[in-house]
Amino acid sequence: MMPTQSQLRLRTVLFWMVPLALLAVPLLVNSYVQFIVNSVLIYALVTLGFNFVIGNLGQLAFANTAFFGIGAYASAIATTSLGLPWLATIPLAGVAGAIGGFLASGAALRGIRFYYLAIITLAFGELMRWLYVHAKSVTGGTDGLSLPRETVMGYSLTDDRVKFYVFLVVTVLLFKATLNLLRSHVGRSIMAVRENEVATASLGIPTSRVIVTGFIWSGFVVGCAGSLFALHTSYVFPESFGMLHLIISFAMVLVGGLGSVLGAVLGAAALTVLPEYLRSFPGMEELFFGLIVIAVLLVLPQGLASLLRRVSPIFVERFYRE
Amino acid sequence: MKRTMKVFAGLLLIALPATAEETTGLTEDTIKIGVMAPFSGNAASYSKAEIGMMAYYEKINEEGGVNGRMLIAVQEDTACDPAKGLAAVKKLISQDEVFMLHGNSCSGVALAIRPVVEDAGLPWVIAHAASDSISNPLAPNIFHGLPTGSANGRAMAEFVLTRPDTKRVAIIEHSNDWAHSYSDPARAYLKEQGIEPVADQTMERGQTDATAQILKLREAQPDFIIAALYEAETAIFLRDLKKYGMSDIPVMGTAGTDLENTLKRVGDLETVQNYFVIHSYIDSLEGAGLKPWGEMITKYYPDEQLSTFSFASLGSAVAVVEALQNAGPDLTRSKFIAELEKINSLETGILSHPITFTADDHQGVKGSAVAGFVDGRPTVLRAWGERY
Amino acid sequence: MFLQLSISGLSQGAIYALVALSLTVVYRSTTIVNFGHGDFVMAGAFVSYVLTVMLGIAFLPAAVLSVLALFILGLCFSRGLIRPIRGGPHIGFALMCIAVGFVMRGIARIVWGREVLPMPSVFDMPPIFLGNLIITGDAIFIIGTTAVLLIAFFAVLALTDVGKMVQAVYQSQRGAQLIGINVDRFNDVTWGVGAALGAVGGILIAPVSLLHPDIGASFLIKGFAAMTLGGFGSLHGAVIGALLLGVAEQYAGAYINTALIDITAYLVIVIVLLVRPHGLFGRKSVVKV
Repeated sequence: MMPTQSQLRLRTVLFWMVPLALLAVPLLVNSYVQFIVNSVLIYALVTLGFNFVIGNLGQLAFANTAFFGIGAYASAIATTSLGLPWLATIPLAGVAGAIGGFLASGAALRGIRFYYLAIITLAFGELMRWLYVHAKSVTGGTDGLSLPRETVMGYSLTDDRVKFYVFLVVTVLLFKATLNLLRSHVGRSIMAVRENEVATASLGIPTSRVIVTGFIWSGFVVGCAGSLFALHTSYVFPESFGMLHLIISFAMVLVGGLGSVLGAVLGAAALTVLPEYLRSFPGMEELFFGLIVIAVLLVLPQGLASLLRRVSPIFVERFYRE
Repeated sequence: MKRTMKVFAGLLLIALPATAEETTGLTEDTIKIGVMAPFSGNAASYSKAEIGMMAYYEKINEEGGVNGRMLIAVQEDTACDPAKGLAAVKKLISQDEVFMLHGNSCSGVALAIRPVVEDAGLPWVIAHAASDSISNPLAPNIFHGLPTGSANGRAMAEFVLTRPDTKRVAIIEHSNDWAHSYSDPARAYLKEQGIEPVADQTMERGQTDATAQILKLREAQPDFIIAALYEAETAIFLRDLKKYGMSDIPVMGTAGTDLENTLKRVGDLETVQNYFVIHSYIDSLEGAGLKPWGEMITKYYPDEQLSTFSFASLGSAVAVVEALQNAGPDLTRSKFIAELEKINSLETGILSHPITFTADDHQGVKGSAVAGFVDGRPTVLRAWGERY
Repeated sequence: MFLQLSISGLSQGAIYALVALSLTVVYRSTTIVNFGHGDFVMAGAFVSYVLTVMLGIAFLPAAVLSVLALFILGLCFSRGLIRPIRGGPHIGFALMCIAVGFVMRGIARIVWGREVLPMPSVFDMPPIFLGNLIITGDAIFIIGTTAVLLIAFFAVLALTDVGKMVQAVYQSQRGAQLIGINVDRFNDVTWGVGAALGAVGGILIAPVSLLHPDIGASFLIKGFAAMTLGGFGSLHGAVIGALLLGVAEQYAGAYINTALIDITAYLVIVIVLLVRPHGLFGRKSVVKV
């Protein structure tokens, strides 16, 4: 059931009300909870970008972790070596991620699809990690890079509450931009490619350009998220961008709901917050994580977003496959 | 919207910043200690170190605690991942509100959390992570209670060069921060002595064959090989070394392996008889000096299989208890830190070298012994051919 | 040196071959790539550890039992977890495989997480010296067992009725269904066979590599690289790709830099897919628009 006009208006209001309400979070929570909330924002962006390629564009590409690492390293290198203020490095990291996306789309355009694409992009990510370790003079090698302490308008950027406001603005902007993109004709072409590439091409839509656009946007969003992550941990280090990260963000996409923008938030929140509750069972994390994902796949194949859709048509989107 | 922002910004100012309270984490009869360790993930074997330390707390508690207070360990998993470690330390500080931190096994995590701990101001005694940069430059509240990477790496290279006529030294290592924390100071020491490694080889984690590395080493004809490899890879490397008839070349390993378990893994003495390891303790794993410590650990953690990791944090635990004791019943964080800084040449009964903290140097342990097989028995050594 | 590297490369490649072949077997019949296969390899090794070291069963019966156990595990996995999500998006399968791998690894970690366990060498014999060349018992055992298994496998496929049935399903699932083959059950069995073949790899490598919960992690990527090189979906391609990958790693390590061993598999993947996406023996199945 599609939402009515008034429900659509309500949805727009909600979209802005939620971040506004979130502005109060730093006043209510301690710095540990704040840190977790910040993590959720970053992972929401990661999931959004990843989902864009696998859920909306329908390409099984795993280069997401590579974009994330590229963004984080771009930010870290720009602040430590070039002395740029961190805020200025966010777009830089986004562009670096977008370039990564462009490269990954190159593989897709060579006719490398599905599992081939999954595996080549997986390899791309691991090769990037090898590069972080061995390009020592730039990346600091295995010691990683520590970001310098900074202030913005008198507020210290080491404070999680200050970080939160910056992260929130970036996250909201990128979510809004992604929604607009998906609703535009580009977005419709992107989803048309997912449904049937040959048919889309026969309508005169330049499918290869559509695919490149999809990858570039995904790279940009995840690259920005990488930049936030660099500040979030203030320490960038090769091991953060390994296979485990990839698997977790893959799970976030599916747990949230493939192709759903709302799902990106839900998946990121669920799989960031839940493991924190599992802290009381040291060593059980892998087991629990596996079981949770299995349960969601069996019981909720459309992800957590589909639960909300059952509650109200406000949450219905046109971005996923029914 | 703008006005709302202003209001929030104003409120934010009021909420900032929460400084450390002197007696947070203390009650009449307890001291809450935050213990961070990689309980999950592929570095979980490191958490053996923190198990040893917590067994020591149990022992102290059984003996009546410290000035009537029980030591309560609040465990947090870091999974050896900086982001997870940051969450863990923030939880310990602002949610569990511990008195102090003790532990952490991964240098990457330690480096990531250092600024947070420094800002929070609560005492942190590092129990296992060895990277020098965690405690140098000095932070007033961060102490290193075990030999740091540079102490260990130096000790490795020093030992190698005490062997007569050792000129050609080769290095094989993982390409990760852990391996570099040993190999870089070792390289630096060799350089001071005018020695350039004759070969620099990489063997990654998970590799099950060292043929390519060993054939290259054979060409380099080393007198001694420094191997910064994890447990499994060490065993594979030594086994392949023997396979290619090179087991007469001595190999110097890190504190990440021990002789007894390496012997168990490779199965025969011939393969390991020329293997030496950094061994920061007064006695070998099964020797009389370590026996009571081992029994203590297995008393409280019966399933624990002892390896050198199990003892890694005990020296720092002894120092922590000593300083808590000396700080008296009116314990505060700054008193505790002051008492730590008074610890001078403390013989812990476990570490081969004493612990000394001063106001300008918080790297407490300056050296490490070495263990090797002498007459087929693991023996602690000061230098080549010289018993501890 | 060249021959020595080749031998150790072949014995590594033999393990990769088992992994790649088991991935391919599953892929060919179900079009699913088992992203959790590394953990099936690990599980096989751990089951045989429990049987031989903890329960004291002799190696050979223990190995047979572990392979059987993994066969059943694979079967149950297909029946219980893959079949129910068939209607969902295809990439759900990839995540399901990963999740099950996590569960198995999690269990191994809880029980043996802080140890690296030695596994007794099965074929304990002094190495053979041929001039400069050294051949160890382990290498002979691994290469030999793999060779026998592969010959048996391909013989069954080429010469028996079961083989004909497999070929039929590979060509057309619907066609096979029409001539009365129960494709669902066939797929379950395929998963079992895949898991069992992976387990053989785990059992063979464990005495060499020692046993820990992460032992399988690196084999998955090696399997992918081997499949890619041999041509995705080609059974003999997977085997040949694996052997080539095994020796390529050794040559890259010895003649260029040992830091390259670990990324040889990734480089192979990228280069093959960019230069010749269908690999050495694969059919061109590239989307053309």
